Amino acid sequence: MTVIMADEHLYTYGVIDGADRELAVDGVAGATRLYTVEYRTLSAVVSDIDTLEPEQTDENLRAHDEALQTIMSDEDIEAVVPMRFGMVFKSARPLKNVLRGSRSVLTRTLNDIEGTVEMGLKLVAEEGVTVDRESVREDVSGRLRGVSVEETENGLFSDRLVLNRSYLVERDDREAFDAAIAGIEDEYGGSLITQYTGPWAPYNFVDLEIGVDR
Amino acid sequence: MTFLLDDVLIKPWISLVKILRSTAIQEAYDVEAIQDDIKENQLLYEIGERPREEYEQRREELELELEVAENARENLSGRVEVKQ
Repeated sequence: MTVIMADEHLYTYGVIDGADRELAVDGVAGATRLYTVEYRTLSAVVSDIDTLEPEQTDENLRAHDEALQTIMSDEDIEAVVPMRFGMVFKSARPLKNVLRGSRSVLTRTLNDIEGTVEMGLKLVAEEGVTVDRESVREDVSGRLRGVSVEETENGLFSDRLVLNRSYLVERDDREAFDAAIAGIEDEYGGSLITQYTGPWAPYNFVDLEIGVDR
Repeated sequence: MTFLLDDVLIKPWISLVKILRSTAIQEAYDVEAIQDDIKENQLLYEIGERPREEYEQRREELELELEVAENARENLSGRVEVKQ
């Protein structure tokens, strides 16, 4: 009897520095196993998938993020260069070609983000409350400068948003960063709502254009 | 001769109609504004200001609006200039 298997492609979560590993983690499109595809010192963390264009559902987006968080929480993994949702390769060969072609930039990026995490901060004005936005933004920058490596501005997509930033934070500075956020909450508690999220893979601090020939 | 005169008279009107139509398309199918509304809806839900049911209903409406706007831009942008 001939069994026809669906094409298995590789859904890629990110790139790490290191060798062969396997993780029992739920992935995108119902995957239950993550493993690595290596090229020299680099490894792409992948799971099998039967489509080249996975649906961008809440469930799949969450699975992508959670898989990256699990990778980041592994003590043996110093850093992960995250891929945006939806990066699928037909097979290991084109993926290895990408790792080979981007090897120097990937290695440099892994060194840059080693031992760090991304934290998100949004400050939202309470309904009907007016605040001096510029002064808040400057104050927050000052409070977080000493406990973060870098900050980046994200879009102010709502009139209520006073600040929307991502911070790159050393893992060792997490407690100090949390304390600084608590200080911001105390200072502006009556007029601003604080939304503090993370740790995330450093999406907003990795600026890579990888040419893909799937 | 008549043909030339008509041509001169009509051209500014065509140009004006084009601009008005282009502006109308930008406003009616403002993809970026709808994307911002989707993010705002999510934010208001996350900070507890919008109940789940209202959030989900609004999200469905906005996703539909976005799909219509994206299709419209794709279909109309070849005929009328739409600023991104």
